[in-house]
Amino acid sequence: MTMNKFINKLLKNKPLIVLIITSVVVSVLNPRFSTWGNILTILRQTSINAVIATGMTFAILIGGIDLSVGSVLGFCGAIAATMIASGTNVFIVVITALLLGTAIGFLNGTLVTAGRLQPFIATLGTVTLLRGIIMVFTQGRPVSTGNTDASAFFGKIGGGFIGPIPVPVYIMLLVFIAAYYILNHTRIGRYVYASGSNEEATIYSGINTNKVKLFVYSVSGMMAALAGILVTARLGSAQPNAGVGYELDAIAAVVLGGTSMAGGIGTIAGTAIGALIIGVLNNALNLMQVSSYYQDVAKGIVILIAVLLDRKQKLLR
Amino acid sequence: MKKILSLALVALIVLSLMAGCSNNKPANNGKSEVKTIGLAISTLNNPFFVDLEAGAKAKAAELNVKLVTLDSQDDSATEMSNVEDLINQGVDVIMINPTDSDAVKSAVEAANKANIPVITLDRGANGGTVVSHIASDNVAGGKLAGEYIVELLGGKGKVVELEGIPGASAARDRGEGFNSAIAGTDLKVVAKQTANFDRAQGLTVMENILQAQPEIDAVFAHNDEMALGALEAIKASGRNTLVVGFDATDDAKAAVAKGEMAATVEQLPKEIGSLGIQTAVKVLNGEKVENMIPVNLQLVKK
Amino acid sequence: MKYAVISMKHITKEFSGITVLKNVDFNIYQGRVMALMGENGAGKSTLMKILTGVYLKTEGEIHLNNEPVSFVDVRSSQHAGIALIHQELNLVKDLSIGENMFLGREPVSGNGRILWSKLFNDSKYWLEKLGLNENPRELVKNISVGKQQLVEIAKALSADAKVIIMDEPTGALTPSETEKLFQVVNNLKTEGKSIVYISHRLHEIFEVCDDVTVLRDGELVSEKPIEELNEDMIIEMMVGRKLSEQYPRIETEIGDDILKVENLSNQFVKNASFTLKKGETLGVTGLMGSSRTELMRSIYGIYPHHGEIYIKGEKVRIKSPKDALNLGIAYVTEDRKTNGIIGEMDVRENITLSSLKKFTGLMGVVHKGREEKTAHKYIQKMSVKASGTKQLVRYLSGGNQQKVSIAKNLISEPEILILDEPTRGVDVGARKEIYDLINTFKAEGMSIIVISSDIPEILGICDRIMVMHEGGISGFLEQKDASQEVIMTLAVGKDV
Repeated sequence: MTMNKFINKLLKNKPLIVLIITSVVVSVLNPRFSTWGNILTILRQTSINAVIATGMTFAILIGGIDLSVGSVLGFCGAIAATMIASGTNVFIVVITALLLGTAIGFLNGTLVTAGRLQPFIATLGTVTLLRGIIMVFTQGRPVSTGNTDASAFFGKIGGGFIGPIPVPVYIMLLVFIAAYYILNHTRIGRYVYASGSNEEATIYSGINTNKVKLFVYSVSGMMAALAGILVTARLGSAQPNAGVGYELDAIAAVVLGGTSMAGGIGTIAGTAIGALIIGVLNNALNLMQVSSYYQDVAKGIVILIAVLLDRKQKLLR
Repeated sequence: MKKILSLALVALIVLSLMAGCSNNKPANNGKSEVKTIGLAISTLNNPFFVDLEAGAKAKAAELNVKLVTLDSQDDSATEMSNVEDLINQGVDVIMINPTDSDAVKSAVEAANKANIPVITLDRGANGGTVVSHIASDNVAGGKLAGEYIVELLGGKGKVVELEGIPGASAARDRGEGFNSAIAGTDLKVVAKQTANFDRAQGLTVMENILQAQPEIDAVFAHNDEMALGALEAIKASGRNTLVVGFDATDDAKAAVAKGEMAATVEQLPKEIGSLGIQTAVKVLNGEKVENMIPVNLQLVKK
Repeated sequence: MKYAVISMKHITKEFSGITVLKNVDFNIYQGRVMALMGENGAGKSTLMKILTGVYLKTEGEIHLNNEPVSFVDVRSSQHAGIALIHQELNLVKDLSIGENMFLGREPVSGNGRILWSKLFNDSKYWLEKLGLNENPRELVKNISVGKQQLVEIAKALSADAKVIIMDEPTGALTPSETEKLFQVVNNLKTEGKSIVYISHRLHEIFEVCDDVTVLRDGELVSEKPIEELNEDMIIEMMVGRKLSEQYPRIETEIGDDILKVENLSNQFVKNASFTLKKGETLGVTGLMGSSRTELMRSIYGIYPHHGEIYIKGEKVRIKSPKDALNLGIAYVTEDRKTNGIIGEMDVRENITLSSLKKFTGLMGVVHKGREEKTAHKYIQKMSVKASGTKQLVRYLSGGNQQKVSIAKNLISEPEILILDEPTRGVDVGARKEIYDLINTFKAEGMSIIVISSDIPEILGICDRIMVMHEGGISGFLEQKDASQEVIMTLAVGKDV
């Protein structure tokens, strides 16, 4: 690729430009922003939303949505914390939590396919249902992972470092790579795009789109569970209200990344950039000491501008 | 290309505007004389914490220190991020008003690791090293309310308890204090439900309870918002019931003055914030501070 | 003397550097019907989209009544009295006829209340003018496609349209509805309205049009009054070469029964029984509502059904398209946009979609190189006009989309290929290519079922013809015994 082509391609990537411009502007306004330590902090802070948003990308690509991610995060986090506190092996805890998240995702998928519910409605139901179960399960109290060796080791998943890089950042990167590979190089990935783009044509091509949907919602559930593990490990405690409202940040990241809410169009790279934009904004607004009341205003404006520019580009005739 | 430029321009304007809206201009450099104190506050969506911040802000101005407030929006993970951002910003003392005592542990530890002293406000931290904890005693407050209801009813009657967000420590502590006060009396709790510290929910929950319970002598709500909601429900039903709240917000105090509410327990959030800054300055000056600083509570009645 | 209401001069349009229209002149005359002809991809749609303000022209001028005008959006062209009636009708199915006609310009009172009685009375007036006796309060989804077409025209007239562009208006109409439409067109003409008529059906052109403009590869070939032309001349202008025989049917060896359907029934079909032999081309025809598509889709596993299906004498159960494909049955849909192609995916991804398993290795990983090679092979074999395997299918013309849709089904290497209206919306040149392809498949020993409402086509390419009427099979005809009249008699449910 020549330099010129490369630049052209870059200029077409609106989300990336928004990310770069935001970063440059903030670096100028506050030199502390571009320090190595702060960049690592941003990456670590972004990891949770990024992991959820990756699962959400699958759900949105197929033309659906998964509103239940926040509740799945809270639920799997609470289960993980309880198990750690009772001295269960960390490895088993992680596997169990992930499987549990996958199972809840599968349930969402079943509601959408066999139950023929709109994804919005189905997952809206699970949001409330699961939050209630969390409350019953925890009696409304936070669950501490305790002060054992196991909990210390578990804590490393959220707070530890390998070399200079925080563990959640590695996990986020692994998730991105895996999701990219699945969407671009595997059969099921192709089917996700096809079903999201034109479900009927996909059925006519001999593909069982219900299976694809079950897969997609299972992935979303599993990613939410993984985020739940990250949050719980980081805080050493599972909050009954952990994850409330997280689905909105995840959806924002996906949409910022250029994925169409109608399904069929979008990339993981876009979602990664979208999640980073949100992470950078959160961090930058804090660093610049913007009053917290104005922070949401600023975030809302930036998200709208980014999405509008992207839409305009797509509507060009 | 024109589009890109316009985009850049818009982004620049927005961000500069936001920077203009910030509470304080950024320090010209890290070595400035003025010390910076960071405050990670659980939420600014609740008048109580807004007052707490106002108290801190006023004291900070008085003592000539800079205060940076970040809103955790009642989410432990956001709180963690905010504390990290305060550390990266290089503040001198971090005051945390935790969303939850357990979950704040990692945040406190992160600050410890960066050698920044931590003061907790209102809620404590169950881990990490905290130089001082400043709070009003919620258990004592709940007890105060309970004792007052016992006194007004002559030690006998049916009461309703409207609980706060399940799992919130304030809800737990106030409930514990209240229940300890009525234990051993002939007061019976006939209904106990959560209204999530929310006025609208206080109204609907109380409406339902009024339907179910023919006889109610008193209501204790874990905060004033719920108490005021319950009051509306009671007024609409035409029944007569004592209502005691907690927090002494302006609305509640007005209701007490009008005789609609029996009482509210007043915390002094501004005092907590103000004491926080005073303590932080002492820490900065190398003075010794108490590791537990209780803040007065009082019952507001007519 | 012809008076040009609209004249487009030297129109050029480029899409990101690719020229799709080059220096085209186009006139629309008062009180006359102008046929706009050309193969798919010749630039007809683009030209009409420029006229209606959907696209902006790169160069050239548009004159309305000899005054230069510029249509920057659809609204401005509508304002000038230009109405486009799309091939896929633009009606809101769940609203009433009247609401559709006045959508966006409902008559309102001073305080913004919709004057329903005025709206429905006005609707009624225009409908009656077109000889359509429908209650304007009826929902659009409850009337036939032919009547919907007339509603679109009524809508255009009620908006005071002076120029009406009809894009393939008879595509989904029954013969009697088509007849009705022609009457309407003639009436409009006498009232001084101007009409642009786009159709691939040559005989229709000679029935209703006064002038013909032919485009080829984005350039104007010629504009002539219809009297100076005949069918062959038009075809020659469109494809740029002489067409050899239009229906090049070949004789092949017909083998044993490969597919046998017995007493297939469901909500659409009543007790359908038929057989298909190896190497045979079976034509299936019938009027709208004869459920020929539904019968084939039931066999393909889309609709649940009772009854038995045997393949090579073995009884099989087909519950999904997947089952059908596994048994060697492929179905090329009549409705490309809804269930044939995936517009947002590229040519390669569309072609390999139903056979992706063949290109996947361990853990479901797709071998893109092999996929690319195969896609490339099929693009060449079927001469799909695309910039490459990476081009999004939605940018292809109808005929090329159809070829992609057929290619997708070929990769699954079917023994039985069902083609549902394979030439609908496909231009003359590409039609011939599709017929040639059918012959190639036949020569390869494939058994083919062709569903078509174009009776000359059925007569021209099939070995045997099955006629359906209201969900049942009304008769079979050998090619040598069949004629248009016999087929029509069977199609309306009478005995021969």
